[in-house]
Amino acid sequence: MSRMASTPARMVLAVVVTCTASAAALTFTYEVTKDRIAEQERLAREKALNEALPEATEFTEMDENMLVSARESAGETRVDAIFDAGGAGWGVLVAPRGYGGPMPMVVGVDSDGKVTGVMIITQNETPGLGTKIVTDESFLPQFRGWDASDVDTAVKAFDAISGATKSSGGVRKGVVAAGHIYEEVLSQTEGGSVP
Amino acid sequence: MSEWLATFRRGLSIENPLTILMIGLCATLAVSTKFEGAFFMGLAVIFVLTMSSVIVSSLRKLIPEKVRIPVFIVVIASFVTIVDLSMHAFIPGVYNFLGVWIPLIVVNCIILGRAEAFAYHNPVRLAIADGLGMGIGFSMVIMLLATIREFVGSGEIVFLGQKLVALPSAYQGPGIMLLFPGAFILFGFMIAGARWVTWRREGRVVETSQHCTIEEGAS
Repeated sequence: MSRMASTPARMVLAVVVTCTASAAALTFTYEVTKDRIAEQERLAREKALNEALPEATEFTEMDENMLVSARESAGETRVDAIFDAGGAGWGVLVAPRGYGGPMPMVVGVDSDGKVTGVMIITQNETPGLGTKIVTDESFLPQFRGWDASDVDTAVKAFDAISGATKSSGGVRKGVVAAGHIYEEVLSQTEGGSVP
Repeated sequence: MSEWLATFRRGLSIENPLTILMIGLCATLAVSTKFEGAFFMGLAVIFVLTMSSVIVSSLRKLIPEKVRIPVFIVVIASFVTIVDLSMHAFIPGVYNFLGVWIPLIVVNCIILGRAEAFAYHNPVRLAIADGLGMGIGFSMVIMLLATIREFVGSGEIVFLGQKLVALPSAYQGPGIMLLFPGAFILFGFMIAGARWVTWRREGRVVETSQHCTIEEGAS
């Protein structure tokens, strides 16, 4: 079969043409899907916020300054966003590491500093073992009522799932980080209103 | 047309990428904990493999030999990114489960291997047969593996939020099925099974490579 000889000009041409065509195809796909992707992420986030803070009616995202100081309090745990739920409290979006990578989750804290609920947005834990952090009915509710202003004491009552120690520990880290954020940043603001 | 069918069938049986060629095992063992994940992983691989085979095959006379691998990788990576973005947009649950394994299809041996070994040397018509055959062969094995692992390991099979089969919740599956050692053990039995079926049908043991052969009569 006649194959094109590998002269430098032809090699460059082949690679440049392929990459250009590829870039065009990807730009098109990106444009088509980006709105849907953003929408899916927003929906997942909203659902988790509503479940973590059942009393809240609307959420407003807090500004960058707040996030910067929150990140300092959270230590090594990733903080994605903080939502102000009017007088009902705050939804803290943290992404602690589990066994299968970061687990973005919402920790709801009310204006009295009590944890109202923890909802995991996405996780990639081992099915049947690590996923018990979502499916085990007594695991996530155990955080409800924790005192966020003294989370280091509350954490002593923490009960991990056997066989899913690392996944459970990840959730615990997330709640502790959210507690520290409440203690050091959020409780300094006016009872749940926008600063 | 019989040549087309023969090429197509090779991927399903005597050159099955998983049970015979044993390439692309890493992703296979990782995503076969859930039937749903395996199903969409299979679809993604069929799509990427067929499309990249078509492109590589139709451009085979225009790609200079020395830059063929970079060109293959760009073509494969483009299709993988298209799959990645579409899955993220339309089936977010599955996308979250498959996670890093979708982008990693780019470096899956099956796809680059078929581009290099088959599509680069054969006409488009046969490249399609090879891509489909290899892709479907891959999907069949990974789906069977995932069905057994999910059912035995967690006692139920969930597909897009619907429970297809479920054992009573008192069932405590052996967790090892969901971990890599269980996958390896099960996969070993599946290779043996595939060999046995081929042996029964062909009346001989098909030897496809030097390092993994079975003597006649050993099974």
